[in-house]
Amino acid sequence: MGDVVGPDLISDLPQSIIESILVQLPIREAVRTSILSSKWRYKWASITQLEFDDKCVPFSNDREVVERSVVKFITTVLFLHQGPIHKFQITNWKLQNCPEIDQWILFLSRNNIKELVLELGEGEFFRIPSSLFNCRKLNRLELSRCELDPPHSFKGFLCLRSLNLHQVLISPDAVESLISRCPLLESLSLSYFDHLALTICAPNLKYLYLEGEFKDICLEDTPLLIEISIAMYMTDDIAEHFEQSSNCNFVKFFGGVPNLEKLVGLIYFTKYLSIGIDSVHISITYHNLETIELYQVNFEDTKEILVILHMITSSPNLKELQISGSSNIPVAVDAPDLDFWEKGCFSDSALNKLKIVKLSEMGGWRHEIEFIKYLLGRSPVLETLSIIPCVFDMENNLKMLIELVKCRRASSRAEVIFINE
Amino acid sequence: MAEIDMAVIKPEMMKPYIWLETSDGSIQQVEQEIAMYCPLICQEIIQKGMGSSKNCAICLPQRVSPSTLSLILDYCRFHQVPGRSNKERKSYDERFIRMDTKRLCELTSAADSLQLKPLVDLTSRALARIIEGKSPEEIREIFHLPDDLTEEEKLEPLKNTTDDPRIRLLNRLYAKKRKELKERERLKNVEVEEEHVDKRSVDDLLSFINGNDEDPKGIKTSKNKKKNRRKKEQQQKNSSLKETSEVNKEVNGQNIRHPNSEADRIAETSISNTEDVFAHKEFDDGDIDDGIDPALKEKIDREVEDFARRLNSDWPERMQELLSTGQERKTMLFTPNGNSFIRFDLKAPLPDNGLERRQRIVSLDYEADPDTYITFPFPVIPLA
Repeated sequence: MGDVVGPDLISDLPQSIIESILVQLPIREAVRTSILSSKWRYKWASITQLEFDDKCVPFSNDREVVERSVVKFITTVLFLHQGPIHKFQITNWKLQNCPEIDQWILFLSRNNIKELVLELGEGEFFRIPSSLFNCRKLNRLELSRCELDPPHSFKGFLCLRSLNLHQVLISPDAVESLISRCPLLESLSLSYFDHLALTICAPNLKYLYLEGEFKDICLEDTPLLIEISIAMYMTDDIAEHFEQSSNCNFVKFFGGVPNLEKLVGLIYFTKYLSIGIDSVHISITYHNLETIELYQVNFEDTKEILVILHMITSSPNLKELQISGSSNIPVAVDAPDLDFWEKGCFSDSALNKLKIVKLSEMGGWRHEIEFIKYLLGRSPVLETLSIIPCVFDMENNLKMLIELVKCRRASSRAEVIFINE
Repeated sequence: MAEIDMAVIKPEMMKPYIWLETSDGSIQQVEQEIAMYCPLICQEIIQKGMGSSKNCAICLPQRVSPSTLSLILDYCRFHQVPGRSNKERKSYDERFIRMDTKRLCELTSAADSLQLKPLVDLTSRALARIIEGKSPEEIREIFHLPDDLTEEEKLEPLKNTTDDPRIRLLNRLYAKKRKELKERERLKNVEVEEEHVDKRSVDDLLSFINGNDEDPKGIKTSKNKKKNRRKKEQQQKNSSLKETSEVNKEVNGQNIRHPNSEADRIAETSISNTEDVFAHKEFDDGDIDDGIDPALKEKIDREVEDFARRLNSDWPERMQELLSTGQERKTMLFTPNGNSFIRFDLKAPLPDNGLERRQRIVSLDYEADPDTYITFPFPVIPLA
């Protein structure tokens, strides 16, 4: 068979299609298309999204060698690039504090950068140059392992919709002012922060993700918040602060989020909310709240149980509930306070929309079993209740099962699934 | 009875149809709700009211052929149903794009012209998957791309960033090779000139010196000696150059097989050595002994000086001659004190008459080694 040379299939497609093809290739391959034919020589040079990851240069065990070749590659690509760059992403662990990064950011700030993601390696944190704050069109900013220090004259990123700071060294005031100066901010994620007492003023904020050692979280102006996920770590400092606090954190926290649809609380979040909870009467209703997930709940602490109960009963449309107990074996020797469940302030409320319940890390302790009883007895439309025990003590599990079988169920369709690995 | 049947059937038949005209002129009917999935068609219907009848069928863009249209309509027919889950849609998409590359490209083009973004994304992702991980030759074969870049263009720094040491090395080798070739050319030219210098200039002299009692042989010998020596030197240099270049080749040859930065360095220093050799050329000659004993040398010098004076006295007449023959080309003009002159382009192609060559020769003579050669102002007297 002779050579079948047909007409060129692809080179004459419109640039927008070529771009969408090249953008879905790894950057190395995209640049390599320049040797395909004369038409393809500079097609790659006008793509608007540049993403450099760990695979963009050949592998070597020597970190310095890799770093140098990454730097050279990125610099050459930027130099040969033509036109605006809308997205620039570096997620390369071998790259650390290099002076060239300053120049790249300066270059990008002159090229209408809209999305910037910098995830550098561990080591000395890279200090973000001030040219970043001149990126007026910045829409999304994601930084990892950097040092951020906005200048005093900084008026904010007026187009910023998504901010993600992970392990970033920034002073608490700077963070707060940065957040409050980005009027269009919709998604905020702060992780690995420490000793922060954070106040958030973001009128357009919809998604909030916090993880770190927070002393206090105050949602001052966040009426549109839809989804919250908070993980609070504990230090002695914070523990002390908790003990001395006289606020009702529950009210303070939940006061300003009427549109909340999903809540996820991890580690010591429930503990944080439990402070001051028994002193106040709570009357907020969350009509949109459909999913609640709480992890590391200490079922020994009746206050934490109160938090859960308050939350459940304030959300008439709750559909999915996930609770994970703490795997600590209870220390208290005296009999658990069973009157708590008899008190009755919660016994008349029904969970009319609750369909799915997942309980994990269940140790079979008294309060947990009462809680399950409570749920089963008040959820008329419940479909599945799954339980994952944490203790592989067969005897304990058996006890739990026996109790569960006794429970009265409000929903005839409820399936109680006991997952025993 | 029949009427009732009609009444029952009618609502089904009332499903609106749209008329579409494809690039080849054929017109077909398509359910409106399916066609509306394409933004362009939607726009035509709503804004311009087209498509309701055969006469005002919507003209689809040229890139939409009938076969691609049917593919697109299949896609629309599946996706416009709202009740499908994401999983269903995804698996449909995976099956949908299984087609040969040519059709895929046509489909992408057509979907783009109809502004059907989800399909454009799907097809461009498929094309990206085809390109990913393949070598340039394979990609060229699949898409019928012409391999029309020169080797040099392929090796430009643009590529060096992605295909490392070997390409860089190759590039450097090419550059070195080019440099060597250039030098060799230059040398050759110089050599050619020098040879002519030695031969012709003496003949020149002899032919103009009518009845000159001077023993030209002395000059000739000395010149010849110089010529030979020069030749020898040249040869030596050439051979040393050849040697170094061969060493380079060897080293470089090895390098191709074993990319090694050390080898690079060796290759580079050897090139710089060659350059050094060149640099020294100018200066070394001056130091080399003529091999003639000093007394004889003096005698020759005196004879030459005499001859020079004689020539110079004849010079104006010769000039006249020269000018009257209408030779306007590239003459060398020497002022009486002899040091300034006009050079002309060495690289200009040698014309067939020996004239220019001789002219050029003399200038080179002068320019290249003022110390070695007899330096008297030497007018160029072109033969008519």
